[in-house]
Amino acid sequence: MQKQLTAILAALCMMWAAGCGAQTSDQQTAPQQPSAKPAETTLMVSAAASLTDALNELKTAFEREHPGVVISYNFGSSGKLASQIEQGAPADVFLSASKQDMDRLEEKQLIVTDTRVDFAKNELVLISSASSPLALSSFEELGDDAVKHLAVGEPTTVPAGRYAKETLEHLKMWDNLSDKLVFASDVRQVLTYVESGNAEAGIVYASDAAISPKVKVIAAAEPEWHNPIDYPAAVIAASRQADTARMFLAFVTSDKGKAIFKQYGFHE
Amino acid sequence: MNHPELTPLLLSLKVAALSTSIVFVSGLLIARFLTRRHFWGKHVLESFLLLPLVLPPTVVGFGLLLLFGKNGIIGKWLTEWFGVQVVFSLTGAVIASVVVSFPLMYQSAAAAFSGIDRRYEDAARTMGASEWRVFWTISFPLAWPGLLAGFVLSFARGLGEFGATLMLAGYIPGKTDTIPVAIYFAVEAGQMDKALFWVIMIVSLGMGTTMWLNWWSRRSVRRFANTK
Amino acid sequence: MLYVDMQKRLPDGVLHARFSAKDEIVVLFGPSGAGKTTMLNCVAGLTNPDAGLIRLGDTVFFDSDSKKALPPQQRNVGYLFQDYALFPHMTVEQNIRYGLKKGTNLRLAELLASVGIDRLLDKYPHQLSGGQKQRVALVRALATEPDILLLDEPLSALDADTRRQCQDELLRLHEMWRIPFLLVTHDLQEAERLGSVILVVQNGQVLPHGPRRSSESSFHAGTAHESS
Repeated sequence: MQKQLTAILAALCMMWAAGCGAQTSDQQTAPQQPSAKPAETTLMVSAAASLTDALNELKTAFEREHPGVVISYNFGSSGKLASQIEQGAPADVFLSASKQDMDRLEEKQLIVTDTRVDFAKNELVLISSASSPLALSSFEELGDDAVKHLAVGEPTTVPAGRYAKETLEHLKMWDNLSDKLVFASDVRQVLTYVESGNAEAGIVYASDAAISPKVKVIAAAEPEWHNPIDYPAAVIAASRQADTARMFLAFVTSDKGKAIFKQYGFHE
Repeated sequence: MNHPELTPLLLSLKVAALSTSIVFVSGLLIARFLTRRHFWGKHVLESFLLLPLVLPPTVVGFGLLLLFGKNGIIGKWLTEWFGVQVVFSLTGAVIASVVVSFPLMYQSAAAAFSGIDRRYEDAARTMGASEWRVFWTISFPLAWPGLLAGFVLSFARGLGEFGATLMLAGYIPGKTDTIPVAIYFAVEAGQMDKALFWVIMIVSLGMGTTMWLNWWSRRSVRRFANTK
Repeated sequence: MLYVDMQKRLPDGVLHARFSAKDEIVVLFGPSGAGKTTMLNCVAGLTNPDAGLIRLGDTVFFDSDSKKALPPQQRNVGYLFQDYALFPHMTVEQNIRYGLKKGTNLRLAELLASVGIDRLLDKYPHQLSGGQKQRVALVRALATEPDILLLDEPLSALDADTRRQCQDELLRLHEMWRIPFLLVTHDLQEAERLGSVILVVQNGQVLPHGPRRSSESSFHAGTAHESS
C-alpha cells in the first residue's frame, strides 16, 4: 500500500512540474501566435561607436515593430569594423561614421551596392570643458598660447580626427598647431581629455558633444571647411538575412529613425 | 636615431629603462621594509599596492589621469613646485609603466625576502653589522634570485605597457609614441607592414633582454645554488 | 660578570629567570619550549624581555626601568646558532672574517689551526660536514672577540664520536678565552660534562642542578610559574 502511494505521489509531482513548465512557456509565447515557438532572427549590426546611444533607442523601437527580430550590435571604430568585415566577421549591416571605410568595402565588393544609403549627417564642433576659464571663441583662435593642448582623434584611424585635420588644413593652421596636438584613439578619449581639463580644447562631432554635460561647444566648423560628414550604411554581401537587413535599413532611414538620430545631435 | 620613423624604439628604451630602474629600487626597498613588520592594516596596504595588476590598464590610465592631470592633486603640485608636466609627456609614459609593473616587482621581492632564514640576518647583527650592512651583505645577496625574477617581469611589463600609457601620455607622434602605441595605431590604420616591423622590434628587444638577464643570473648564482 | 633578571611571556607560560655567571660555562638545561633559546636571544639582544635587567660587567644590555635596550650590534656577544647559520653565499674565510674588528690583534691562523679548519677556508658551507660547520661557526663567533659566548644546542646535530670531540674542543677553547659561555642543551650527559654551573629551565622556572666545580657564581630560584 505504501509503495503504491509513493509511486502515485511521485507521478503527481512530475506531472505538476511538467504542467508548470508548459504553462510558463505558454505565457511567454506572444498571445497572437498560436504555434509553439516563433522563429527568431538575430540581425548582426556593426556600427560606429559614436552612434551607440541613438542606435540603442532605435533598437527598442525597431524590435517593437518587428517582433521576432533581435538586433545584436557590434560597436567600434569604423576603421576597425571595416577590417573585421574584410576578414570575414559575421555582420549583416554596416553603419559607418566614415565614407572612406564604406568605400573600402564597396571596392572589395563586400556590400550590396544598391542598398548603400546615407542615413545621417554630423557637424564638427570645437569644445572646451564646461568650467573652462578660457576666452576661446573660434577655431581661428586655437593658435593662442592659452591653448596648450588640442585633442583630436587620430587622423588615419578616427573619422572625426580626419575631418578635424581637413578643417585645420583648410584654415592653414594644421602645421602651426602640430606641437599642441594630442591624438586620441577614439572620440571618448578626446572627451575625457577635455572634460578633465588636460586638453584645453578638442574637436569632436556635435553628436558627441551633446552627450557630455561637462563640455561646452565653442564653435561649429563651416561645412565647406571639410568633406561632408555623411554616415553611410549598407547591407553586407555575405549576409544570410538580406531581407531582414533591408527592413532594418528602411527603418533607419524612415522618419521615425531620422527623428531618433536628431534627438542625439545628428543632422539629416 | 636621426630617422624620425624610429622614435618609438628610442622612446620605448628610455621608458623601459627608467621605469624598471625606479620599480626595482622602490619595490625591493618597500618589500624589505614591510617583510619583517606586522601591523594592523598591512594586508590592506599590500592589496592596494597590488591593485594595478587586477584593474584593466585603461582604468589605471584613467585613474592616473585624474591624479596626475593638469587638474589632478599630484599633477597640480608637480607643475606648481617643479614645473613638471606629466600628462602628454614621456614622464607620463614612465609613470604609467611604473604603476603597472610595480606590483610584479614588489611581489617577487617580498617573496624573496621573506624566504630568507631570519637567523642569517641575526647572526650578522650579533657580529656587529649595522642594519644597512646586514641588508647589503646578507639580505640582498640571498634574495637576489627572486629580485632578478622581479626585475625581468617588471621590465617585460613596462616594455609592453599600452593602455595606461595611451591615456596618460597620449599619442603624440615623435614624443610619446612608444612601440606598443605605434603598433596599435599602425594596425588600426591598416598599415600592416609598419605594424609587423615594430612587432619584430619589440619581440627582439623583449626576448633579447630577458634571455641575457637569465643567462647572467644563472652564472652569478651558481656559487651557492646548491644550498638550502 | 653576567647578571640576568628577566621575565618574558612565552607561548606556554611566563618565564622568570634570575642568575649570574662569571667566566665559566653555564649550561641551560631543559626540554624544548621551556624558553632556553629565548633567554639566549634576550642576552644577545635579538629579542627583549618584557621586564627586567640584563647586565654584562659594567655595560647595561637591557633595563626596563630606564627603558634601555642596547641593540645587538653593540653588545659584543658571540652567538653560535642552532643550525650554525653560516652565510651560504660566502666562503668559510669570508664567513669568519665578517665580524673581525679592524686593527685586531687576533691571531686568526692559530685559532683556525687549533680547531683544525685551516684547510677549509675556500670552501662554501654546503660543502662542509656537520662537524666542520660547527667548528667554523664557533670560530666565526669567537673571531669577533666577544665578551660572552652564547651557544644554542651546538652539538645536537652531530653523531656521538664527533660530539665528544667537539665537547673537548669547547672545554679547551673556554680555557683559552676565559669569558662566560652560556650553553643550551637538552642532553643531561653533555650538561654534566661541560657545565660548571647547570641551570634547569622548566615550567617557567630556572633552578640550579647542583653546583659543580665553581662556587663563585650565585643564582636564585625563579618565582612561581603563572599559568597562561
